[in-house]
Amino acid sequence: MGIKRGVSLYSYQQAQFFKQLDWKAQVKEVREGLGTDGIEIIDQATIRDYPFPSEEFCYDWRSYLARYNMKAVTMDVYLDVLQFRDHVMSYTEGAERLKNDLHLAKKLGFANVRCLSGVPVEVIEMALPTAEELGVRIGKEIHAPNPIRLHEGQQPRVNMFGKAMDGSLVEEILSLADRTGSKFVGLVPDFGIFQHSPSDVAIDYVKRHVKKPEAVDFIRENCTNYTTAEIVKLLEEKYPEHGIDPMNIERMMLHESSAVAEDLREIVPYIVSMHGKFYHMTEIPGQPGHYHDASIDYETPIRILNEEGFTGYIDSEYEGQRDQQDRGKEYLPDGVEEVRRHHEMLQRLFDATPNKADL
Amino acid sequence: MFDSYLIREDSLENFVCPESGKVLGFKFAVRIADYRGCILSLHNGYYITVDGVEYPRELQRFQVNGKAPRDFEEIKKCVWEHWNYDDEAYVYVEKEGGLEPGVHHIGLMQSVLAQYGYAPHDEEWIKNPPVPGKGAGAGKTQFVCYYDLELQK
Repeated sequence: MGIKRGVSLYSYQQAQFFKQLDWKAQVKEVREGLGTDGIEIIDQATIRDYPFPSEEFCYDWRSYLARYNMKAVTMDVYLDVLQFRDHVMSYTEGAERLKNDLHLAKKLGFANVRCLSGVPVEVIEMALPTAEELGVRIGKEIHAPNPIRLHEGQQPRVNMFGKAMDGSLVEEILSLADRTGSKFVGLVPDFGIFQHSPSDVAIDYVKRHVKKPEAVDFIRENCTNYTTAEIVKLLEEKYPEHGIDPMNIERMMLHESSAVAEDLREIVPYIVSMHGKFYHMTEIPGQPGHYHDASIDYETPIRILNEEGFTGYIDSEYEGQRDQQDRGKEYLPDGVEEVRRHHEMLQRLFDATPNKADL
Repeated sequence: MFDSYLIREDSLENFVCPESGKVLGFKFAVRIADYRGCILSLHNGYYITVDGVEYPRELQRFQVNGKAPRDFEEIKKCVWEHWNYDDEAYVYVEKEGGLEPGVHHIGLMQSVLAQYGYAPHDEEWIKNPPVPGKGAGAGKTQFVCYYDLELQK
């Protein structure tokens, strides 16, 4: 048993963009390059003519996955509330979109759909009977800067719209699952919640695009000594016209993860699948052939998942490419190699401690 | 994201009126600045500059899915059509006489109003859609990208 390895085809977005790997080549890479079977997709990246794919596409998808003995784990779905442009989508309309996505997921053989962190729980509840009827689980993503739960005395982080990330995301889903007794609603934690520092590729990107790259070093050196507001003030004094926008200051300030790994214990029974977010796999010093993402803690959460007997999928979600696409083609990273390294790490960490389900 | 690759480098051309043969403007091929396609109605146009001159949304048309170029008022109604992630589209820009031969400095920022759920600006963006160029709908590429492109043909 044990934890299973999968890949979100999101990881191959760059190779898909440049027509180097279509979805079939991506699936084949997961089977032949990684020796595993888990497939996750972004609906609007893989499904041609979403939300109305042809019968041919659907049959071809199922047939190709069957040929390589693959498992369609999770389909990631969205909520574009301005779709109709003449009014904001209501919750009931949002639920219709989600229900349609559930039908589509079923047709393509997926076990789960992933809803975004920002989807109201009311929308999920309205679609839950459809999920039950189809046997497709809905998992709400726990994406940074959400915690799993807020600890006493802990100040909640705020999202891009100033909303406090106070742990209610998880509470609401647990309460919905417990209240309805449904096994068809749960959570999709993203390893991004265990990211404790900006990735080197993000730091380099920001440095290439600001007037005073040394101001970025200043933020990194002082991120634990000052609050963001204090840093903004200091930057103005020391590096006038530094050119770092507020979003990137926030990104460069990161010095602790939004979630605590221990908190995974209480939600393991509700985990539908997980996103293995990462940015850059580098060789661990002194361990040739062993890789890690130096900005994200995988070791502690995986140890805890093993201790709790988690046997679901962690699907690689490679995201470092976007910080390396501002220059010539010679600077583009190799997403296929990054995912291979990520799977070296995953399997090594899975095997490092016993999984309770095997004991 | 895809900062250097949102416009295909050999795609800048003038376009002509098939009847009169008159040059009506220029066009170039674009990709979406995101990791997913979009429901077409969400496409709210582009911020475009050529050699420092801005060409607003009203002068732009968008050609995708094998259909004739459509202006962004028409695109707004395409609530069940999809711009696929894999697909290139053409942006047509009205400019009498088109561009001069040679290399042009083009600035581009998309405005695709795709979202991850509800946001405080929702009602406002229905009433007054944002003007492209300020970051609204810029996807994963939150600034204007510049390209030096040679006019083809």
